[in-house]
Amino acid sequence: MVDWRDILKAQLFSTVCWYRNNKWMLITTFVWPYLMVGTIFGIGMALGSLEEYAERVGVVNPALYLLASSAVAMSSVYIMYSITGFVLENRWIGTLPYLLLSPAKTHTVIVFSSLPDALTSPVFTAIAIIPAAVYFEGFTGALRIFIVLLITILGMLPLMGLSVIMASTILFLKEESNIMGSVVPFILLVSGVYYPIEVLPRVLQVISQFVPVTYVVEATKIVSTYLTSEARMLMVALYMIGLLTVGYNLLATLAMTKVERAIKSKGAL
Amino acid sequence: MSSAVQVEDVTKNYTTSVRKGLLRREKRVVKALKGVSFTVSYGEVFGLLGPNGAGKTTTIKILATLLIPDSGKATVCGYDVVEDPEMVRDSIGVTLTVEKGFFWKLTGRENLKYFGMLRGLSGKKLNERVNDLLETLGLNKLGASDRFYEEYSLGMKARLCLARALLTDPPILMLDEPTLGLDPPSAREIRNLLVMLARNRKAVLVTTHNMFEAELICDRVAIIDEGRIISIGPVQELKRRVADKIAVDILVSNPAIGLEIMRKRLRTVIETVGVGVDERGGVYVRFTCRSGEEDKMIADVIKSLGDLKVRIYRVNVEEPTLEDVFISLTGKAGEA
Ligand SMILES: Nc1ncnc2c1ncn2[C@@H]1O[C@H](COP(=O)(O)OP(=O)(O)OP(=O)(O)O)[C@@H](O)[C@H]1O
Ligand SMILES: [Mg+2]
Repeated sequence: MVDWRDILKAQLFSTVCWYRNNKWMLITTFVWPYLMVGTIFGIGMALGSLEEYAERVGVVNPALYLLASSAVAMSSVYIMYSITGFVLENRWIGTLPYLLLSPAKTHTVIVFSSLPDALTSPVFTAIAIIPAAVYFEGFTGALRIFIVLLITILGMLPLMGLSVIMASTILFLKEESNIMGSVVPFILLVSGVYYPIEVLPRVLQVISQFVPVTYVVEATKIVSTYLTSEARMLMVALYMIGLLTVGYNLLATLAMTKVERAIKSKGAL
Repeated sequence: MSSAVQVEDVTKNYTTSVRKGLLRREKRVVKALKGVSFTVSYGEVFGLLGPNGAGKTTTIKILATLLIPDSGKATVCGYDVVEDPEMVRDSIGVTLTVEKGFFWKLTGRENLKYFGMLRGLSGKKLNERVNDLLETLGLNKLGASDRFYEEYSLGMKARLCLARALLTDPPILMLDEPTLGLDPPSAREIRNLLVMLARNRKAVLVTTHNMFEAELICDRVAIIDEGRIISIGPVQELKRRVADKIAVDILVSNPAIGLEIMRKRLRTVIETVGVGVDERGGVYVRFTCRSGEEDKMIADVIKSLGDLKVRIYRVNVEEPTLEDVFISLTGKAGEA
């Protein structure tokens, strides 16, 4: 029998082969955080000054905060792209049935095959951001990036199960419908990446408490502002991430049995 | 030993919606399988033969646990395809459409290694197995093993696809049109390989609409049409079921004794024998007989001809082909 470690190993192998065979992809991977942050800065500068932004969001070093939190939010949401993208892409090129012929549980195959891609994104982003962090804050900056990276990876875990359900839904609908296109901006909106949660309507504020990215952003904010008084808040954020991880993945596993049956009855593979 | 594959009264409907106008959609039910039953034993090549849309791929997908049947029961290697799908997957090698299903930016070797790892192979064993298969399936010979899959020709793709199915050396193979698009020598190579696998006690289930191929390699075939198996059995038996008469033509030298005397002599052996001259002046002896009796009749006639000092140039036995069987049963002409 095959378990999640075999799946993960196989996918790591193919990811390494893939990057080796596609050097340009590797290069652009390191450049994109700068492109993205540049764009956000550009818009920010056009609308107001950095100081104003710092005051609004309530952080000491807005530059690093913005860099870190947007990268973090994007990265932890990226697992949704990884998993749904993985399913869609493999269906498109016809490899999906062969992956699912692996003698393991279907959701195990989907989650652990997507994981290397999901993890390479924040890891590469962190590596790419480190020069900027060192430039702004020296060694401490690098250390913070590292801690933030860990938080990001933790932040992915609750979204794992949710992503598999979304991927399966896309499979079931048999349409390359753009679920991601509406879900991801929504998650980013309610998680307080670009606006403080307080300015959101009441309903969204409640929803935001169930969105793991909220706590990832919260934790990032604490780490990047380096306020010791908020260390307790950091623990709370991590605790919430843990809670949501267990909760969401448990729900997802229960749902997956039904969802898999539905897909396989419909003939979506 | 129990059967490798056992299918009992399996049905499958697909429900699709057809767009009618901008927003209106109409449900349509496609009855893909309407109660299919058959078994495949270890050591045989079993052919699932049928026209386009007959339900061949649907059957393979159900057996490979990629599709759940609506009703009926199917077991593979003793495991139920719905209850024990992981065990089923562990004992099978599968090819679906051979023209896709690999990663474009990986080489053939890398692709095989990846799929091998997904099936629990690793380390030296994996490397050796991949090397063996690249050799056996002629990908080394074609110089394709270390080229990107995106550069593969259809034949190379088909070979790689079969290599993947063989990675774990599974006891049961399910191959959906494994020789589709192959040139004749390549197709022959693959067919020989399939027969050899069956000789090594593997159960080989192939689907095809290539009558010629089915006739060459299958020990038994099931003819499936519109979701029903309409005939099943060894190829020879199916032929006999359809056509019970066999026509025999023997081209001979001009008898010194004259055609009339030859005809009279031969009629003592077979009453209905005809002797004639064709448009190019060749002399032939022609008779029909019941299927299964042709061997003895031909021997008798040849012996008489020998007694008459007539030389035999050619014996032509007109058996119905599997294609005849197919057409007569389905009312449709096959592709090959
Ligand atoms: N996923 C699906 N959704 C809806 N209908 C389907 C689906 N797959 C197959 N069908 C329909 O089911 C019937 C049987 O299809 P199947 O693919 O099993 O045929 P086949 O015997 O493999 O044909 P071919 O020789 O063309 O490969 C066809 O009418 C087909 O249109
Ligand atoms: Mg088919």
